[in-house]
Amino acid sequence: MPKFGMVIDLNRCIGCRSCAVVCKIHNSLPPGTWWQRVETVGSTEHMVPSGENPDVSETFLPVPCMHCENAPCVKACPVGATWQREDGIVLVDYERCIGCRYCMTACPYGVRQFNWQDSRASFKEGFKAAGFEEDWFKDKEYRYGYPFDHKTGDGRIVYTPKRPKGVVEKCTFCVQYVDKGLLPACVRGCSGNARTFGDLNDPDSDISKILRGRNVFKLLADLGTEPKVFYIAPTRKEGKGGINYGKEL
Amino acid sequence: MEKNYKKIMMILGAVALIGALAWGYQLYRGLIVTNMRNPFSWGLYVAMWAFFVGTAAGGLVVSSAIYLFKAKQLKPIAKVASLTAFIFSMGAMIILLPDIGRPERLYHMILHPNFSSMLPWDFIVLSAYSLVSAVYSYVLMRTDIMEKGVKLPFIGLVMKKDVSGEQLAAIREQSEKYAKCLAPVALPLAILIHTVTAWVLATQLSRPWWYGGVLAPTFIAAALATGPAIVILASMVAFGYKEKLKDTYALLAKVSAIASIIMLFIYYNDFMVRYWWRTGKEFEALKMVFTHYPLLHITEVVFILLAVYLFFKYPREKKGLIQGSLSITIGVFAHRFLLIPPAYNLIPLRVPVITHRETVEWAYPIAVGEVRGSLLNPEPVFSSFWKYTPSLAEVAITAGVVAVIGLIFMCLINVLPVKEAE
Repeated sequence: MPKFGMVIDLNRCIGCRSCAVVCKIHNSLPPGTWWQRVETVGSTEHMVPSGENPDVSETFLPVPCMHCENAPCVKACPVGATWQREDGIVLVDYERCIGCRYCMTACPYGVRQFNWQDSRASFKEGFKAAGFEEDWFKDKEYRYGYPFDHKTGDGRIVYTPKRPKGVVEKCTFCVQYVDKGLLPACVRGCSGNARTFGDLNDPDSDISKILRGRNVFKLLADLGTEPKVFYIAPTRKEGKGGINYGKEL
Repeated sequence: MEKNYKKIMMILGAVALIGALAWGYQLYRGLIVTNMRNPFSWGLYVAMWAFFVGTAAGGLVVSSAIYLFKAKQLKPIAKVASLTAFIFSMGAMIILLPDIGRPERLYHMILHPNFSSMLPWDFIVLSAYSLVSAVYSYVLMRTDIMEKGVKLPFIGLVMKKDVSGEQLAAIREQSEKYAKCLAPVALPLAILIHTVTAWVLATQLSRPWWYGGVLAPTFIAAALATGPAIVILASMVAFGYKEKLKDTYALLAKVSAIASIIMLFIYYNDFMVRYWWRTGKEFEALKMVFTHYPLLHITEVVFILLAVYLFFKYPREKKGLIQGSLSITIGVFAHRFLLIPPAYNLIPLRVPVITHRETVEWAYPIAVGEVRGSLLNPEPVFSSFWKYTPSLAEVAITAGVVAVIGLIFMCLINVLPVKEAE
């Protein structure tokens, strides 16, 4: 059984937020909902360095769901609507979630998003706010994103473009693609190739090779959630680039 | 009295109706009509849930104390007390209905309970508590029901049985025996509902404002402070202020005052430890109380202290008792409401930003979850501090639930033979 994880190399992240946009488009996220965030650490505004001149720094930190091994949300969900699949991906069953939002309280990473209204209404508002004059959503109900429902092996709906109101959703590592052997959208869409996705159990996978012998960190490791998203800390760059993965990658 | 009663019922009915309409509107539009959003995912409803759990305590504590601690003074109000326990524990469950996004799926709680979560346990304990308090109320009233019957509107007197005085005495003795058996079950359950409710919050490692072992004792102390106050108010409504109830009220006021002091003691104990650290999330949460919500904190402390003063100074005066009970209710409500904002606005994902001079913790903003602004007037979608005030719909629904509780209470004391205090 594979155990999926992700490593994000902060040296390679240029803060372009492509991952967030690609994620949004592929997963049909209703306007206002973001499964993937990229912010400049320490700054109130993205792309603005933090600190005082000349002592400034600009580090971008992308935060998807950590798919924790010891996930607080899985522990907190009263009805088992959030669970960890055997391959380590933490999913939400859209048909079982009762919308109590206890998992949002439990999650220390703030990645869980609630459908405060029907996604239809959100899309409508979104098109309007974006300045589309004609209400063409009305006729076609156009939604971007992967167009089909996705069910896990045991028949639980974990992705649907038509999000019902009153349920919680979050990053699924693009389960609809991973189940087909494809990479998550954010990994494919990362312009700096900062992300690597793969099987942590397989010693020959890219991610295992990258993690081996390298100093990586996890977010809020002291909470004991055991995230499966790892980060390579940014180093001060000398000359051009300065990071070398070797031949294979 | 009759006219007043009708007027009160009309007002309560109107408020309940508005609440029902507001809930209908919320069901139709979704929880977008509340002011909760992703960074601030629980609000007034959950505060009310904690509050109702607290007010439900008094009932069974009072009625079981009669048998467990031989507190004979409490006997005349036992029926009303256990009725309040029933009503408020139901209220605590009802107020969670509007809080959840898909109330129609609640049956999953029974089909697929996840027992590592505290919520199913809370559901079990609260249901058991309301069941036991309903049974307890019945046991306490059994003989009176047989003697006087239940006055139902339109139908008239029911359940009245022709029994001789001797039989009645025998049944009364039997009921007494049942009550004695129930008391040892009821008291631990009363303690459990607060403990489990506190655990729902206190187990969340990501919320430093709740986290730790001190929340459950605070909950119990707060419950023992509001419980008796609610019982005082309820029996004032049911019986009025009677000479022979003086001792009863005085005892309840004393219990409430002492519990209030204990509550503040535990509360400030926690504050002291947090303050001494001067750093870390726990301290930041405390700092948030004083920097962003000082008014709420002042309200809780001032009203609770005022109640303590009133209860100690005028335990045998009608005015003092009513004012004290109301003031403790307000104080503890503010206390419950203050549970929420410092927990959510202290965003758990904080990244240390280290410079050569200092290290500051930077909070990672959370997507709000609604469309904001427009193309030409964009507004930030990511927020690291959510200014929460309950929306009109939330207030209307909450007021509706309070009104329903009031309605049920008024109906019950009118229908059931509680009025004649022994």
